[in-house]
Amino acid sequence: MIDTYTRILEAAAEVEDKEASDAAVTKLIMHLKSMGRLKMLPQIARELRKVAARRAARRPVIEVAHHKEAAAALRAAAAAGISASHTSVNHGLIHGWRARSHGRLIDHSAKRALLTIYQTVTR
Amino acid sequence: MNSIIERIEKEIAAWAPEVGAEEVGVVRATGDGIAEIDGLEKAVLSEMVLFDPTFDRTLTEALADPNPIYGLILNLEEDGVRAVILGDASKIYEGMLVRRLNRLLSISVGPELVGRVVNPLGEPVDGKGPTKAKEERPIEREAYGVIDRAPVNVPLHTGIKAVDAMIPIGRGQRELIIGDRGTGKTTIAIDTIINQKSESATTRPICIYVAIGQKESKTAKLVAELAARGAMEYSIVVTAPASSPAALQFLAPFAGATIGEYFMEQGKDALVVYDDLSKQAVAYRQLALLLRRPPGREAYPGDIFYLHSRLLERAAKLSKEKGGGSLTALPIIETQEGDVSAYIPTNVISITDGQIYLETNLFNKGQRPAINVGISVSRVGSSAQTKAMKKVAGKIKLELAQFRELEAFMQFSSDLDPETKKRIDAGRRMTEILNQGRGVPLPFEMEAAIIFTATSGYLNSFAPEEIKEVEEKLRDYLYREAGGVLAAIKESREIREETEKTLREKLDAFVAQHKN
Repeated sequence: MIDTYTRILEAAAEVEDKEASDAAVTKLIMHLKSMGRLKMLPQIARELRKVAARRAARRPVIEVAHHKEAAAALRAAAAAGISASHTSVNHGLIHGWRARSHGRLIDHSAKRALLTIYQTVTR
Repeated sequence: MNSIIERIEKEIAAWAPEVGAEEVGVVRATGDGIAEIDGLEKAVLSEMVLFDPTFDRTLTEALADPNPIYGLILNLEEDGVRAVILGDASKIYEGMLVRRLNRLLSISVGPELVGRVVNPLGEPVDGKGPTKAKEERPIEREAYGVIDRAPVNVPLHTGIKAVDAMIPIGRGQRELIIGDRGTGKTTIAIDTIINQKSESATTRPICIYVAIGQKESKTAKLVAELAARGAMEYSIVVTAPASSPAALQFLAPFAGATIGEYFMEQGKDALVVYDDLSKQAVAYRQLALLLRRPPGREAYPGDIFYLHSRLLERAAKLSKEKGGGSLTALPIIETQEGDVSAYIPTNVISITDGQIYLETNLFNKGQRPAINVGISVSRVGSSAQTKAMKKVAGKIKLELAQFRELEAFMQFSSDLDPETKKRIDAGRRMTEILNQGRGVPLPFEMEAAIIFTATSGYLNSFAPEEIKEVEEKLRDYLYREAGGVLAAIKESREIREETEKTLREKLDAFVAQHKN
């Protein structure tokens, strides 16, 4: 039941028209009230939060080791199919960049390369 | 030091950034050795994944604990997958990056594993360093089909008189060893492995002992025993102890079968002991319940039969075209209170080609091995029995069954006619002859000679209580005085007229020498 309501609201959130989606929420609350199932509302909210977190995790993220590598990283990532408007700095990468979007990862960082070398040498 | 620097420099020079994208997921929730993973849309069942603890750590932190943790995908769901964690589950956290490895769960196989103790992932656990095995094989694969198989017709001698005479096992057969705890199931399997030492190097099977859910002390003791008897020279031990995750206990028999198949495909013979499949079934039930699969009878999942049938079907005798190798399986099942009609025992009984049933009552009476001859059977082994053994052991099973009936009758009657008394004494003698302690498997030719002695009436002048002592003397005597006879039986695998004549002469002399 909760899954069904969550899916309906998920679909409503896709609609650009804010008023329409608000109306959908109001209708759902009224429906739950009339059914005597208002208790489900926190569970639906929790599920929606999970969905939102899942979606956020799938958004394109491009990390670079230094600011100066940002432009090159954006270009290279776009060429590889991951487009984003900006980058974030992650000094832990040491050098290079990495991009993640919709379950795809391109790791062009020196950290990954060094770890690969370490694992190959010590295996 | 220089060599290390050179190696590192070589690796750095050879490094080129990987441009390709890889598919990754994120751990949504974890617990009880199971991880729920978001993403990995293209992942397939039984694929390996890597939980990457280095992704959101600095290089220094990552190098402090660089060991990857693997997982095995067992459930494909709408918005993600569920995987069992094949390692320390406490290191998996929510939000952890998971990489697809694009390969099914595989382990390294090869002759380099011989003499080693490994876990179900093929990693050594004996402290002797890496195994250096190069070839990798998926642990789940389809069994050979009808066309690729040949009939089971070569014997696998266990060195246990009762088994080789009455429940013979052939190479490529699946013979179940079943019984309550503490009835000697493992002993039969271990004695069989030890007995392979008496085979010539060309025909000796590679033995794989798979310990599932056993105490580590028990496995350590077994390995020490095998090593002390020189059996580790041709053996491999795969261990998933009771303390290991349920996933490893479920995978262990498949790992053993994969290792055995490698040797089978090289045209060699292999023997694999699964000790025991009841514990594997329990581990699989645990996994299935955690993966929220619907429970069936005794809470086992619906595919528990398929779990065992697909494992045991991998035991085979291959056709000449396929190299003629074989993989013999000795699965072990532990029963509760002798109940062979429970779910898992009946399943495995129906899958295998026969069973050796061990009984607590017989064990407590002092019979070793405590085999209940009445319900133990080998469905294909008789065609693999040597002519020599067939000749000497043809009627033993029937005679023993008759003896058991008479023995039961005897409890109610004290006054027996001479014929019945004679039969009972003969049965007692035969039972004594078949009694065999642990760790003393006998070469096939010695078994044949001893059973010939018993079935030909040479022991009739001895009281049943004396038989044990007489048998020891007989063994020494045969080794000392009848070496030629034993060699002839070993070579020809039958007791020819000439050999029988000489053997009878030697036995006459033995009886004359030892008769009271």
